[in-house]
Amino acid sequence: MNMNHSSHTGIGTARTSSSLAIATSSATTSSWVSSSGKRIQREMMELNTDPPPDCSAGPKGDNLYHWISTFIGPPGTPYEDGIFFLDIIFPSEYPFEPPKVVFKTRIFNCNVDSSGNVHLGILKDGWSPALTITKVLLAIKSIFTNPDPYNALVPGIAHLYLADRTKHDDLAAEWTLRFAK
Amino acid sequence: MFRRNNIAARIFERQIRTPAPGTSVHCSRQFYENLVPSYTIYDVECPDHSFRKFTDDGQYLISFSKNNHDLIVYRPTWLSYSCKEEDCNNHDVPAKRFDSFFTELYCVTLASCNEVICKDFFLYVESNRFGLFATSTAQVHDAPATGGAIQGVPSIEKITFHLLRLEDGALLDEKVFSNDYVNLPHNMGVFLYDDLLAIVSLRYQTIHVLQIRDSGNLVDVRAIGAFCREDDELFLNSNIQGLENPDRSRTHQLNGDLVENGLQFNSDNSFLGGIKQRLLSFIFQGIWNEEMDQTQRVQCLKKKFYFHFQDYVDLIIWKVQFLDRYNLLIKFGSVDGGVGRNAEQHTSFFAVYNMETTEIVAFYQNSADDLYHLFEKFCDHFYVTSRNSLHMRFISSHSNSIHALEQLRCIKEKASSCSQFMKKMLASLPFSCQSLSPSPYFDQSLFRFDEKLISATERHRQSTDHPIKFISRRQPHTLKFKIKPGPEAGSIDGRAKKISSFLFHPFLPLALSIQQTFFLQSSVINIHFRR
Repeated sequence: MNMNHSSHTGIGTARTSSSLAIATSSATTSSWVSSSGKRIQREMMELNTDPPPDCSAGPKGDNLYHWISTFIGPPGTPYEDGIFFLDIIFPSEYPFEPPKVVFKTRIFNCNVDSSGNVHLGILKDGWSPALTITKVLLAIKSIFTNPDPYNALVPGIAHLYLADRTKHDDLAAEWTLRFAK
Repeated sequence: MFRRNNIAARIFERQIRTPAPGTSVHCSRQFYENLVPSYTIYDVECPDHSFRKFTDDGQYLISFSKNNHDLIVYRPTWLSYSCKEEDCNNHDVPAKRFDSFFTELYCVTLASCNEVICKDFFLYVESNRFGLFATSTAQVHDAPATGGAIQGVPSIEKITFHLLRLEDGALLDEKVFSNDYVNLPHNMGVFLYDDLLAIVSLRYQTIHVLQIRDSGNLVDVRAIGAFCREDDELFLNSNIQGLENPDRSRTHQLNGDLVENGLQFNSDNSFLGGIKQRLLSFIFQGIWNEEMDQTQRVQCLKKKFYFHFQDYVDLIIWKVQFLDRYNLLIKFGSVDGGVGRNAEQHTSFFAVYNMETTEIVAFYQNSADDLYHLFEKFCDHFYVTSRNSLHMRFISSHSNSIHALEQLRCIKEKASSCSQFMKKMLASLPFSCQSLSPSPYFDQSLFRFDEKLISATERHRQSTDHPIKFISRRQPHTLKFKIKPGPEAGSIDGRAKKISSFLFHPFLPLALSIQQTFFLQSSVINIHFRR
C-alpha cells in the first residue's frame, strides 16, 4: 500500500486513524483487497467517464474504501442550490456487501434519519453485487427528487410529506438554506 | 524654494498660508518635527507596576500590579513648573518623579486569588471610554477533549473578560468562558470593531460575537462555528422534536438532556459544523464552476477536493478580525499551528465570511499572490480598528506611506523566494486588534528610525546600549531626537540580554521606555519628553 504523500502538495497529511485502520486491516486479507479494490477502481473509471448529472464522488485522501460524494440539490426541489456531502464507505467484502452511505450535511428528508443514515432498499436487502457506485449515486439522487414516504426512516417527515406537501417543502427549503449552503 | 523649518518660521507660515485642500492635518503634524521627546529622565523612581499602554485618546495610562491582581490607572499630566531665575534652560528639571507626570486615578482588584490578569491583553472602547481586561486561571496543557472540544488545544478553567468604565474604574459587566481557550497575548484571540467584539474560542472552535452596549453591557449577538445563524440550533431542536419516530422519542429525551448540558455535539458529531459546511461547499463550487468539461471536472474534483477533503475538515479557526460590521477575515490552519509559535511555517488559509448572509465570500491559501497584492495595495482596509478617531488615520502603512512602501519593496527584493516572502507578510493577517501606536513619532513621513529596534507595533524588543535615533525625513535629514532605554551610563553587565518596550503617548511628546534584564526582577523606566 502506497502511503507516500510526496505528490501531495496541499496541507498537512494527517489521516484519520479509522481510515488507516480500514486500509491496513484490508491489506491483511489480501485476496479480498485485490478483488474488491480492483472492482472499486473499475467502478471509479466507469463513474468518471459517465458521471450522473449534478453529483460527483471520489476517494477521500488515498483510501480507496472511503469515498466522499457531493450532491447539488436538483432544481425544482426544496433542496435546490444546496450542497450535500455524504460519506460512502465500502466494506472489504464489496461488492458482496453494500456500501454504507451517511449524510455529512443535515437534510430534511423522510429517508434520512437525524444522524444522517440513509434508508434505501438497494443499500439493504435489495443489494446485489451487480449494482455499481453509479447506481448507488442515482438511487441517492432519487431521494432528493422523489422521497419514498412509504419506506421512511422519519415517519414525522413522511407524514408531513403526504399530508401537507407545501409545508414539507417549505421546511425542507429552510433546512437547505440553513444547513446545506 | 528654500524653507526654514524652525518652529517660529512654521508658525509664521501657518499664519500667512492656507495649506492645500485636505492637507491641513498633515501640515500641522509637521510641528512634531520641532516638538520632540528629546529630554530623558533616567531610571525614574516609580511604582513597581507593569505598564501596559496609553489609551488611544491619551486619557489614561494602564498598568497592572506586579502580582497581576490589580489594575492601576493613571492620568498623564503635563509637567509644569516655574522658574524665577534668568537662565532657566540651564536648570535641571525640578521634578524627577513619576507622579509629576502621572496622577493615579484609582486601583481596582480584577483577579481573585487563583486568577491573574493577562497583562498582554487590553482593549479600549474609545467611544465610551470603556476598557476590556481579561483574567484567567492557570493553563492545563493535556486537557482531555470533552464535550465537543478539539484535541490538542490547552484548556483554561476560567477566563473572565471584565468591562470597566475607565473614568472611575467601575465594573460594568463580565463574560466568563469555562474550560475554554482564548489566545489572549497581544489581543490575538479578541477583536474589537466599533461596538462589536469577536472572541475566538480555540477549544470549541466558535467565534463569539458580542456587542458592547452604551449602557456597559456585554450582549451575545451570535456564535459562529457549529452553527451559522443565531437561531439555527433552536430551529433544529424544535424541528426534530415533533418529527421523530415514537419509539425514538426516548433517545430523543436523552438528547434533550444532553443539549441542556451543552453536550449535544457528542451525540451527532458526524455532521459537518456550520462554518465547515459553508467552507467546503464554497471550495467545491469553485472547482465545479471552474471546469466546464465533464471529464476534466471529475479529475479536478478528485485531485483538488476529495483527496484533501479530510484536511479541510480538520482545519481549525486560528484567528479572526473584522473587515467591516458584517465581514470577518478568518484564518484557518492545523491544530498544531494554532497554539504553537512559528505559525508562518504552516500552511494556512484565509476566508472572508459574511456573518449576516452566512456566506463565504472568498478563500485563499497563505501563499496566494492575489491576496498578497490586495494586502500590499490596500493594507489600510485590513487595519480597520477605530479609524473614526482622527489621529489613528495617520498610522503609517505601506499603502499610505511611500517610505513604508519603499522599505517593503527593499525587503521583497532581498527575499530569497517570492512565495516565502508573501507567506511571511501574510502571516500578519488577520491583524491583532489595537496593536499599533498612533504616536506621530512613528509617522514614517516625518521620521526615519530602525524598525528592528522600535516601531509602532507594541512588542518587547531586544535592546542594545545604543540610543535609538529618530532622523528627520526632510532635507537635510538631521537627527531630531534619541530614545535611550536603560540606565544613563549603560548597563553594568553589557552581556546580559535586555528586553525593552516603549509606550508612546498618542499625541504628546511623551514616552516611557521600560528595560528589563533577564533574571533580574527590577526594570529601569525612563521618561522621555520635551523639556
